[in-house]
Amino acid sequence: MAQSRGDRAVEWMIYAALVLVSVVVLYPVFFVGIASISNPENVMRGEVWLWPKNISLVGYERLFANSELMKGYGNTLLYTVAGTMLNLVMTIAAAYPLSRPDFSGRTIFTILIVFTMFFSGGMIPTYLLIKDLGMLDTFWVMIIPSALSVWNMLIMKTFFQNSIPKEIQEAAFMDGCSNMKVLTRIVLPLSGPVLAVMVLFYAVGHWNSYFNALIYLSDRDKYPLQLFLREILVQGQMQEMVDISDDSLARSMMDAEAIKYAAVIITNLPMLILYPFLQKYFIKGVMIGAVKG
Amino acid sequence: MKQTTSVNEQARGSRVSGSRAKKHRFHSFRRNWDLYLLFSPVIIYFVVFHYVPMYGVQIAFKDFIANKGITGSPWVGFKHFERFFDSFYFWRIMKNTLGIGLYELIVGFPIPILLALMIHEIRSGKFRRFVQTVTYMPHFLSTVVMVGMIMMFLSPVSGLINLAITALGGETISFMTEPGWFKSIFVWSGVWQTMGWSSIIYLAALAGVDPQLHDAAKVDGATRLERIWHVNIPGIAPTMVLLLILNVGSIMGVGFEKVFLMQNALNMEASDVIATNVYRSGILGAQYSYSAAVGLFNSVINFILLLTVNRIARKVSSSSLW
Amino acid sequence: MLFKKWGSLTLSIVITAGLLAGCSSGETPAEQGQDRQANLNATGMPVVKEPIELDFFTGKSTTNGSKFEETLIWKTYSEMSNVKVNFNLVPFETLTEKRNLALAGGDYPDVFYSARVTSDELTRYGAQGVFLPLNDLIDEYAPNFKRLMEQYPDIRKGLTMPDGNIYSMPSFYDPALLSMLIGAPLWINEDWLKQLNMEEPDSTESFYEYLKAVKTTDLNGNGKNDEIPFSATGITGIIDHVKGAWGLGNRGLGHKLVDVEPGTGELRFTKTLPQYKEVLQYVNKLHQEGLLDPEIFTLDGGALNAKGQAGTLGATTVPNPETVMGQKNFIGLGALKGPDGEQLYSHVKVPMVHVGAFAITDKNENPEATIRWMDHFYSDEGALLYFMGKEGETYEKDADGNLKYTQDITANPDGLTQDQALAQYFTWLGGSYPGLVKEDYFKGSETLPSSLEAAEKAKDHAVEDIWYNFNFTQEESEFMSSVGKDIQDYVTEMEAKFVNGSASFDQWEEYVSTLNKMGLEEYMKVYQAAYDRYKTE
Repeated sequence: MAQSRGDRAVEWMIYAALVLVSVVVLYPVFFVGIASISNPENVMRGEVWLWPKNISLVGYERLFANSELMKGYGNTLLYTVAGTMLNLVMTIAAAYPLSRPDFSGRTIFTILIVFTMFFSGGMIPTYLLIKDLGMLDTFWVMIIPSALSVWNMLIMKTFFQNSIPKEIQEAAFMDGCSNMKVLTRIVLPLSGPVLAVMVLFYAVGHWNSYFNALIYLSDRDKYPLQLFLREILVQGQMQEMVDISDDSLARSMMDAEAIKYAAVIITNLPMLILYPFLQKYFIKGVMIGAVKG
Repeated sequence: MKQTTSVNEQARGSRVSGSRAKKHRFHSFRRNWDLYLLFSPVIIYFVVFHYVPMYGVQIAFKDFIANKGITGSPWVGFKHFERFFDSFYFWRIMKNTLGIGLYELIVGFPIPILLALMIHEIRSGKFRRFVQTVTYMPHFLSTVVMVGMIMMFLSPVSGLINLAITALGGETISFMTEPGWFKSIFVWSGVWQTMGWSSIIYLAALAGVDPQLHDAAKVDGATRLERIWHVNIPGIAPTMVLLLILNVGSIMGVGFEKVFLMQNALNMEASDVIATNVYRSGILGAQYSYSAAVGLFNSVINFILLLTVNRIARKVSSSSLW
Repeated sequence: MLFKKWGSLTLSIVITAGLLAGCSSGETPAEQGQDRQANLNATGMPVVKEPIELDFFTGKSTTNGSKFEETLIWKTYSEMSNVKVNFNLVPFETLTEKRNLALAGGDYPDVFYSARVTSDELTRYGAQGVFLPLNDLIDEYAPNFKRLMEQYPDIRKGLTMPDGNIYSMPSFYDPALLSMLIGAPLWINEDWLKQLNMEEPDSTESFYEYLKAVKTTDLNGNGKNDEIPFSATGITGIIDHVKGAWGLGNRGLGHKLVDVEPGTGELRFTKTLPQYKEVLQYVNKLHQEGLLDPEIFTLDGGALNAKGQAGTLGATTVPNPETVMGQKNFIGLGALKGPDGEQLYSHVKVPMVHVGAFAITDKNENPEATIRWMDHFYSDEGALLYFMGKEGETYEKDADGNLKYTQDITANPDGLTQDQALAQYFTWLGGSYPGLVKEDYFKGSETLPSSLEAAEKAKDHAVEDIWYNFNFTQEESEFMSSVGKDIQDYVTEMEAKFVNGSASFDQWEEYVSTLNKMGLEEYMKVYQAAYDRYKTE
């Protein structure tokens, strides 16, 4: 079916706009890339724009030589994979029942759950709880307290409510399927896009998280990557009272500058690669058509 | 061949009257016992990790003394809240926080939607994947790196933007020290960084739109724009409404780190937000209760906003949180 | 009657049994105390006869290694003192949260070491009994520190909390090492000075002339007008240096808003004085004429150092341009003379840098031994060990008897930077440690020849009566954190605005009256109360 002229014009405009957006948005990442292989002093003086200057791999060398960092990488991979799996199970376990209009109590449950997004006891009671549960300084503290994100759960619930055709579910019920069968045989297979999004959101959440580790972990062998990264990047920035002429700190700030761009690239690489893998689930309507047939 | 009553309508019917409803509820409980079973770990999770520690909220009404614990610390009522409201800069930080929050909402809400709609229209799989990946990458740059880049770009001495301005005959603008520029720089750099990431959810929603509707519209002779307007947008409307509600519910939560890094004495009147102001109070000595009180105040406002928008959404559209 | 006798006998048996059961080791508290005394050596090493173990909540700077116990100094000292210390390291970033969590959960260890405990916390938790009062312990078991306190009575004043107790031992910089107290002198490029054929500036006027000359002359000979007369990470540095030329800040940098009226001895709020207006007008002039780096308000440390390395700076305020900018041609200026003839070098920090660097908790079963353990570092021998290590292993003596780190550290064969090499042996990197810093043993940039020279020049006009930190009561603390902080914020913001011209000096009266409205009078009263307590210690 040929397109009308109007349609073609719109298509061209969209292409143009997206090319522009891509360039604008790509630039920061491109910049970080070239900065990571440039001489840090040139970067700090704002002399690096389109090409790397005075190629220097010192940032990468330092990072790879840091054995703690490599261990952190392994830890983060573990937390991310295990955590995301748990997240998926919990989120489905919450979103599906809440998406069913005949699940009595759904309103009150939803309100109580959303309430926790706004009000919480704070760090101290939570810390004491974790301590009492014996989870301090363990692998479990990195995945259980964060087992469910209300935000993500609401997204999945909305998706279940609006994008899974009711007819198909009803047909299955008429055929005598149980709830669980409907969930596993019909709803989930049709939920490719939202499941892909959940994997992405949760995985990235785990990958970037550091605060729980900061508070609950004391064994450096269990530290995730981000914690080491922050040690490198942030120490110079947040020192309010360091008016004390600490020379060693000044020097370490310079080292931090050298490493920071390389660090950003290295730590984010897996995440940057993850999305392209998941994109095939975003193809429209493939799933629905297949099931209908 | 459509069913006469959908599951939805059945459920609505069941909300009819008291005792009939109770019977329905009991029956549906029996019918859906496996759903409740499925849901039970969720209940446990929330009770243990969110409601058990909830008693800590009272820290905002006490003078926290660490070794006495929260329950043992003395009660002071609204003292901390009063201190917050009486502060010389109260109105300023409220204005800045709400101002930035609102600005972010107005600018940052539609743009990812537009981006998703556009990406969705691309027929070439390669180009689409390229754009999707490229736009979502900046999300991963840490705040420290991002702010560093912003300051480099906007530098009055060596920054690209100012070089362009002077080349065109204008005068250098010291962006980072002019209060008037702060909010725009903050918000637009945020959009730049997160629009790709935020568009992902809409792309997923668009993937869930039944292509048969598109085919039908094409047969009816609808142009591309018309199809976007009449099929795509309604298709993702529930997602849009959800995200709108959630975003309004976090309007007071202007992030600390980025503001802190971009602040300086000269732009303070536009850049000082609640979080950074409270942070400075804590420098002399940890002001636990005070920051908890301010946090509680923020949460209450956010929650009220959420309830309001949710109610409006319920009246106006068919989708809302509950 | 028999009943009664039996009853009281049973009762007394029960009570005694209860008492005995209460003591974990079967000894009475009095007996436990005696055991401790018996184990303790009142003087000399080792500190205790039988080894004891202590747990320290320790703040860790990112520049430190992650296993204190394995560094040379702690291995050495642990053998020497017979005290085994477990350093539970907490990154400085989460120090406050972790400290509160430890206290709330009731599982804090024996000592808070290098943990930046604030005066506010010392007062509060001292009153709760969490921190032990050290007054008597210092008197009996800390001869080195006691001697230090007698030599510098201000230490006691700064350490004593409003309830009269001392709850901590500090991080102390020997006041004789003036360069350490100055911290970041005002440096100018000597090569350029010579090129311009000018004399070293000794007044605000001549400093201005120097800066102007730098701006208008192509000193680096590259044909570009890229010389930056003065740059820094903000304007506080230059204001703090220049204000002495108007006689402001006559009690040192520990008190930036308040000092003393010469003659009457009354406290005065410096930021509303006409002299202060003149200071700002001077700096404003520098700004208007382009003598200050346009980026001065937004520059951070790294970027400043990068500029320095390019050799385009005429003047700056950093610890030492040699170390991070690689510029060896800078000299530090002495006190500048102002238009009214005042010449005060007020950029002098409080020698007692961290009040709460070391605190003993009520969980500590060996407070006497702990105090003795810590006291060693306030002696020359201890400071030597802490900073320099062992002769032959980490330092050597040169011909003049000066101490230097070994080649292994300064030019590490495995390619480690000096700091990385140091982190293997020492833990003083990053600061905040309790102890004594003396010129003889401290080899930071403040002891470089150029820094020492700058201090020499400053000596004659340096503030003599340096106020240490004042300690506030709970209410005063709350006031200072709320109204006090708002006042401070307002001053800082207006300062910047006056300097860069966004506020005109016509608004000065408005500025002063706003400060009055904010509660300046109350602020001065609080300050006065704290000062009165400080004086009488």
